[in-house]
Amino acid sequence: MDGRTAAAFACVGVGVVFLLICGSLLGRRLRLERRRRREPLQLPPVLEVHRAPWAELEEWRDGLAIARELEEMAERGDPGAQAPLREELWSGDPVVRQAAVAALGRLAERHDWAIDGLVEALAEHRDAPASVAAQLDRLAPRVGIRLAPLLRHPSDVVRFYAVRLLRPYGDIARDLVPELTGDTSPNVRAAALETLASAPSGTVLRRALDLLDDPHPLVRAQACRTAGAVSARAAAPFVVALLADASWWVREAAREALVAAGRSAADVVLPVLGAPDPDARLGAALVLQDVGIVDDLVADGGDPRLLASIFAAGGKGMRTAATERAHRGLRLGRPTLVAEAGRR
Amino acid sequence: MSLPTLLQAGVLACAVYLCMVYVAYFALMVVGFAESRRRKRELRGADPDVIDSRFAPPVSILVPAHNEETTLPDAVRSLLALDYPEHEVIVVDDGSTDRTLERMREEFGLVPVAMPSRGIVATQRIEGHFRSSAEPRLVVIAKASGGKADALNAALNHCRHRYVCGVDADMVFARDALSTTMPAFMRNPGSVVGLTSFFETSANPAASLLAGVSYRIPDLRPLILFQVLDYLRAFFNNRLAWSRYGFMLCAAGAFQVWRRDLVDELRGWSPAFTCEDIEFTFRAHRFLRERGSPYRILSLPVRVGVTEGPDDMRKLVAQRERWQRVIVETWWANRKMCFNRRYGSVGLLGMPYYLLSEIVAPVFEVLAVATLAVGAAAGLVDWNVFLLVLLLISLVNSVLSAGALLMADLESPAYRLAGVVRLLALMPLELLVYRPFMSWARIKGTWRFLRGDKGWHKYERNVHADPA
Repeated sequence: MDGRTAAAFACVGVGVVFLLICGSLLGRRLRLERRRRREPLQLPPVLEVHRAPWAELEEWRDGLAIARELEEMAERGDPGAQAPLREELWSGDPVVRQAAVAALGRLAERHDWAIDGLVEALAEHRDAPASVAAQLDRLAPRVGIRLAPLLRHPSDVVRFYAVRLLRPYGDIARDLVPELTGDTSPNVRAAALETLASAPSGTVLRRALDLLDDPHPLVRAQACRTAGAVSARAAAPFVVALLADASWWVREAAREALVAAGRSAADVVLPVLGAPDPDARLGAALVLQDVGIVDDLVADGGDPRLLASIFAAGGKGMRTAATERAHRGLRLGRPTLVAEAGRR
Repeated sequence: MSLPTLLQAGVLACAVYLCMVYVAYFALMVVGFAESRRRKRELRGADPDVIDSRFAPPVSILVPAHNEETTLPDAVRSLLALDYPEHEVIVVDDGSTDRTLERMREEFGLVPVAMPSRGIVATQRIEGHFRSSAEPRLVVIAKASGGKADALNAALNHCRHRYVCGVDADMVFARDALSTTMPAFMRNPGSVVGLTSFFETSANPAASLLAGVSYRIPDLRPLILFQVLDYLRAFFNNRLAWSRYGFMLCAAGAFQVWRRDLVDELRGWSPAFTCEDIEFTFRAHRFLRERGSPYRILSLPVRVGVTEGPDDMRKLVAQRERWQRVIVETWWANRKMCFNRRYGSVGLLGMPYYLLSEIVAPVFEVLAVATLAVGAAAGLVDWNVFLLVLLLISLVNSVLSAGALLMADLESPAYRLAGVVRLLALMPLELLVYRPFMSWARIKGTWRFLRGDKGWHKYERNVHADPA
């Protein structure tokens, strides 16, 4: 065979492959267009629309299809489906495990045994516990006390998710979660503080203030947030010290907690303008900006020495921004600002 | 050595090169197909409730912008409208000389404020911070011009969430861009450190997305469709396969999601390179391989949005010339990884693949043209064989393009029938009417790299009517 013949044969061969792919694409497309025309108001779900011809066959071999079948049986009330469906949670295939979690989540809307299955799945977390947690969170307030045993689970990952899941259950959280603010894992301590922020009480505030000295920055930051959420005014004199924290995240959380206290934070923040630590001075200046005191001083021509010390701490950017806001008649810390902007 | 012998050697070198490249392309396409099926199955078993929950990780979206007054407001609106439980958008106006900042002020009611910076990376001078009074999740930073990497770094200094998503200001996003991609992190939070995902190209992205519930190709001009084919091949034939074997070497700048701790550790994106995305991906691989940490950088087949493609050939050549320069520059800076077992699949597959398909390609393109020209002048070309070989290459390219289109269609049927027909019809013509310009761009890009050119030479944006 000479070069010319070989090239010609190769062209024919590759051309046929190209035409086959074209045919497959256009065939699928025509089928879809026909289906769209027949059912113009019911666009089929994306995943179903383009199912390849061999997909049906594959599904019989696929654990996903089995999970789906079991879910349908369980939905019809067949008790024989419960145990095998829960067993799918321990499948060697992560995709099947994921599908089993989703199936149990759907079934749990009507069946308590499915909630128990999900709690069990969280306790035995294999991978992606966030997925199980998301299902349990969606089922509030039906999960509640079932989570209690997980708070003493040896795995900190399980304790972390269990404590976070208790957020919608104020009473249970108030009873069981404070203990976890002394957990060995900083993630669990921070999660406990986060959950307690939604169950405010004097005890919670005390716990949060105690943890402002925690060795881990994640916990100190969350302690600021929780203290700010429970009682920003009462917490301000304690939180203000963390404007000088070594961690940027803690300084930010402290600043936000002080801003949450509003203008009442000014009393504790003003002395910090003279602090030796530049980060603390900057944090104090930012708080005064965000609560609107800087804008008031600029607009009303108040104490020029105070304004100068705020700008010295906040930097040139703060002065420029304040001047521009004043020029445009805008003030921070005023609810009307949002309304004005909404109208624009 | 006689002229015919020289010509034969030239033809043989080009033929061997072509065979190697096409074997690699086909191998990647087959792997890409398998990976696409695997991802699709993963999606079938996925739990949609996770991403709507408070357990979905919050994301900071970083939007560097330089002279983007025509595209930026649409991009920001589409980012703020994303269906995702918690995300913030940080726009950095990188010394624009047009009305970029004014447009943002008008559209989002910006209020100047002082803001704290994490100070992770030093950047050019920050000129101002703005919060949107209408949209608390939006922050705008104005700074002196320092390039895209510098702008991303400025945004990094201000971001607060555990994942950062760098995007292009000319891109308009699908509402599910984050909710369809972030589950990849949630499934393997310990090992997945970065990802990118497929995006479309169009001369007018906002109009493309506003056109309907599904994407279409409203602009059926051949130049745009040829770019659509380029993107399809790049994502479905190449990146999916790279991703499967752990050498996904380019998280595209238009949509790159990273774990923030890694970006912090690498001290952000490097302004020393012409372009930041490919360089950062190479650096991330190198760093993680040297540290010996198990990690994955993924490319997903999910459509996340539409980016603006140049609508004339001059602009397109300028863009592709820059891409080539960036590739050569980055590859050269990381050449020690090539054929180095220490870097695993990155050193043994990824780097040699780039060398073969991108770095030396211009050499063979010049050689092929020179051989043909000299052979024709000397009357030594058998035109029948030449035309047959040309036809063969064109058909092989068409098979690769059609394979990518089929994979995209299996992923989600995005294009209308008219679009599919046009794309298929253009495939065999690509070699003659589109590739020569791309080859020219590659040669130019390589030449500019050799001359040490590092300029950005951003192409001027398309002019289009306001889609609203």
